[in-house]
Amino acid sequence: MRIEADQMYGYFEWLFLHWGLLHGALVAAVMAVLGFFVCYIVAIKQHGPSEGFFVVTRVIYELIARDLPNTTGRRVYALSKLAFQEAIRRRVLVVMAVFIVGLLFGGWFLDSSTDNVARLYISFVMTGTSYLVLLLGLFLSCFSLPADIKSKTIHTIATKPVRSTEIVLGRILGFTAVGTMLLVAMGILSYVFVVRGSDHRHEISEVAADGTGKTSYDARHEHTFEMIAGESGELSQGATNEKKSHKHKVVATVKDGKTVYEVGEPEGLLAARIPVFGKLRFTNRQGEDDTKGLNVGDESEYVAYIEGNSLMSGVWSFNGVTQSRFGDNLPMEMNLKAFRTFKGDIVTGVQGEIILRNPNKQIESERIPFIVREFAIDHKEINRKVKGTVKGEPKEEIDIYEDLAPDGKLEVVIRCTDGGQYFGMAQPDLYLLAGESTFGWNLFKGFFGIWLQMVLIICLGVMFSTFLSGPVAMVATMTALVLGFCGNMAFDIANGKTPGGGPIESMIRMPMQSGAMVDLDLGNKVLETFIKKSDQGIMYTMYALFNALPSFGSFNTSEYVAYGFDIFGGLVARHLTMTMGYFVLTSVIAYFFLKTREMAA
Amino acid sequence: MTAATAAEPIKTTAASTDSDVVIETRNLGKTYRDFWGRRKVAALKALDIEVKKGEIFGLLGPNGSGKSTTIKLIQGLLFPTSGRAFVFGKDARDVSKNERIGYLPEESYLYKFLNAEETLDFYGRLFDMPAEVRRQRSDQLIKMVGLDRARRRQLREYSKGMTRRIGLAQALINEPDLLILDEPTTGMDPIGSREMKDLIIRLRDEGKTILLCSHQLADVQDVCDRVAILHQGELRELGRVDSLLKVRDVTEVHARGLTEEVKQKIADLIKSSGGELVSLDNPTTTMEELFLDIVRDDRPGQRPSSR
Repeated sequence: MRIEADQMYGYFEWLFLHWGLLHGALVAAVMAVLGFFVCYIVAIKQHGPSEGFFVVTRVIYELIARDLPNTTGRRVYALSKLAFQEAIRRRVLVVMAVFIVGLLFGGWFLDSSTDNVARLYISFVMTGTSYLVLLLGLFLSCFSLPADIKSKTIHTIATKPVRSTEIVLGRILGFTAVGTMLLVAMGILSYVFVVRGSDHRHEISEVAADGTGKTSYDARHEHTFEMIAGESGELSQGATNEKKSHKHKVVATVKDGKTVYEVGEPEGLLAARIPVFGKLRFTNRQGEDDTKGLNVGDESEYVAYIEGNSLMSGVWSFNGVTQSRFGDNLPMEMNLKAFRTFKGDIVTGVQGEIILRNPNKQIESERIPFIVREFAIDHKEINRKVKGTVKGEPKEEIDIYEDLAPDGKLEVVIRCTDGGQYFGMAQPDLYLLAGESTFGWNLFKGFFGIWLQMVLIICLGVMFSTFLSGPVAMVATMTALVLGFCGNMAFDIANGKTPGGGPIESMIRMPMQSGAMVDLDLGNKVLETFIKKSDQGIMYTMYALFNALPSFGSFNTSEYVAYGFDIFGGLVARHLTMTMGYFVLTSVIAYFFLKTREMAA
Repeated sequence: MTAATAAEPIKTTAASTDSDVVIETRNLGKTYRDFWGRRKVAALKALDIEVKKGEIFGLLGPNGSGKSTTIKLIQGLLFPTSGRAFVFGKDARDVSKNERIGYLPEESYLYKFLNAEETLDFYGRLFDMPAEVRRQRSDQLIKMVGLDRARRRQLREYSKGMTRRIGLAQALINEPDLLILDEPTTGMDPIGSREMKDLIIRLRDEGKTILLCSHQLADVQDVCDRVAILHQGELRELGRVDSLLKVRDVTEVHARGLTEEVKQKIADLIKSSGGELVSLDNPTTTMEELFLDIVRDDRPGQRPSSR
């Protein structure tokens, strides 16, 4: 799972420090100015320059002075209830039946031998829900208003004292209500499906006198376990090893003179870890601070590497490291990558070490060795009391919270100790664990993300349907949806990060079979300059367009749920704010089109 | 709807009491253009009419004459290419004027998935009527239009006549001051048409203003106080029905109990006075009155003429 740096921002940090509010205001301002000019040009064609200006400003005036203030809840409710009834009586509940059938068959066809069954099931239900609900929102929102206009049923509404604002709001809220009802039902069924699907039990198949043993083979796996002596000296409690991303507690009780072992429910499958991320920087081979690590040939810049057996390291800086937040021990999890330059001993993992230190570098812990666990999350509970050095002097005991992080600031240094090998790391690959949330609440937040996507689709669909026919509105909405999902890739093209130039240059390169990494060579500098400048104009327009469109992909937080990370409250709040912003923007655009449209034309 | 009365002259002599103007069009015109702005059809040209409070005003004309276009311009469903339209002193595009208007469209464009109760409840909400008022009014109207037994059935199961009646009910839900009826008797049987016309007269007598659009000439003649005749988008005639229909150079006399001898004396008198005798014969009733007489006759097999 890949967590982008911007997803870790807090809500107010995103809003004020990372231009969230400014970006939204800019999009609104640009759309307003652009919209005014487009409307004015159309009005000039129909009415002439001065009358056209009057027409456009009158619509703006009526929105602010008449239509918005006179919008009543009763009429909005009536229209949204109509939209709801229309959807229900058009058998949208068939979608629910499709979902249920999918769940029933999913249990048969999903590969339960996978390493993490819960992750598979969660991905399945959330992806299925997402597709069904988004398609439902698409069809409902794009076809309803055009159908009313075509069948002229809109005449009996437009001839009542109903404002265009009420028509737009009524449709959006009505379809949202339909989708919400289905989403709630799907969410409940998904929860039951995932919990029941991942729940399993084992029996004890063999146990030795030393308290070790093996469980039965159930759900395509078995565990070994080890009992630990309790306070009374009896081997009363234990735990299994970790298999398929979970383990079980084992409890031994004596009944009728016989020891009975009971294996508990799986732990670790349905997690919702609350990670606290730090800021990552690197040190180079000389031990000096550096902003980035090495690139070992993988062109992605998401992961950077540090060389083994050198002064290169990855340093994470954390704030707010307190006992009340993390507990007595410091829980930490890592998901580092290993890059091997020679095979060597491929059975043993690449070795590294962890050092905890105060940012002033005067106090640091001893080196804590570890072997990297690739493709898995490595959980470490670092004891509160560690050995270390203070100003170079060895100390038998250092307290993490009182000595290393008295002001809550702590640095975690990772080094690779194997020569000729490398550790790969990105900022979210190491974090401290501030407890766990509940799976159910996390799943709810994941479904909330789907709900926000659905609301966006409905808003766009209603907006396009105010001036386009049903099928065309659907194509337009789907285009916005696809561009939104491919937003990152499209941004890279628009930003010029993707090698090979812009659209015109790419079209020239293709027949010339010219590689993307070499400069364009047409033998005519003027022509090359013209092409590049034209491409810049196109890419700038693309950049502006993609900035204005909602990035649907970023609203999808199902990976958080599947990989067991708690969805940050700040991220949810950010998505909600963006959705409300697009709701207002699309509603205003829809109002303008509806207001200036002849219903009987 | 109430049961139709026995055959007798429909039009009452209620006169309009004041000259308040409810609908006013000034040089109202509509030209349809294509996407490129090229002129396609001049549907309405420079229409100037006034509809006064408390009258039944008819818009008459063949297909394509501009009747529906006029109604749509007055309702704000279309925007004028030239001129303006005012309703209750407000511009036709002002949504707030619709508070006092009831509209029965030509085909009763209603939502087929709703039943009668839900339909009236929905439109009542659009007038911001409180729940209790809506309930009472819906109940009253459903009974008035005779759909009590079918109130829970979806409109998709209604016959054409039933659909017209629920359409009329939704037009009356807000007790409008102005009623706009587009082809109100289309698709109705003679009894239904008669009841509709009686209702229109009754509403006029209650002080409501009615704008009626039709190409059923007999209906317009029966109920309207004034008519405007449109043809190819232009106003060709405007005036009171009785005045427009008066044939000024012919005198009509209705009398009973005349013998053949007296009829002959009348014919001779007309000839000797220099007049032209056009006809001296028994008058004919209308097909509608004959039909209603037969349908309401409780003596099966007996023709009204035999009574």
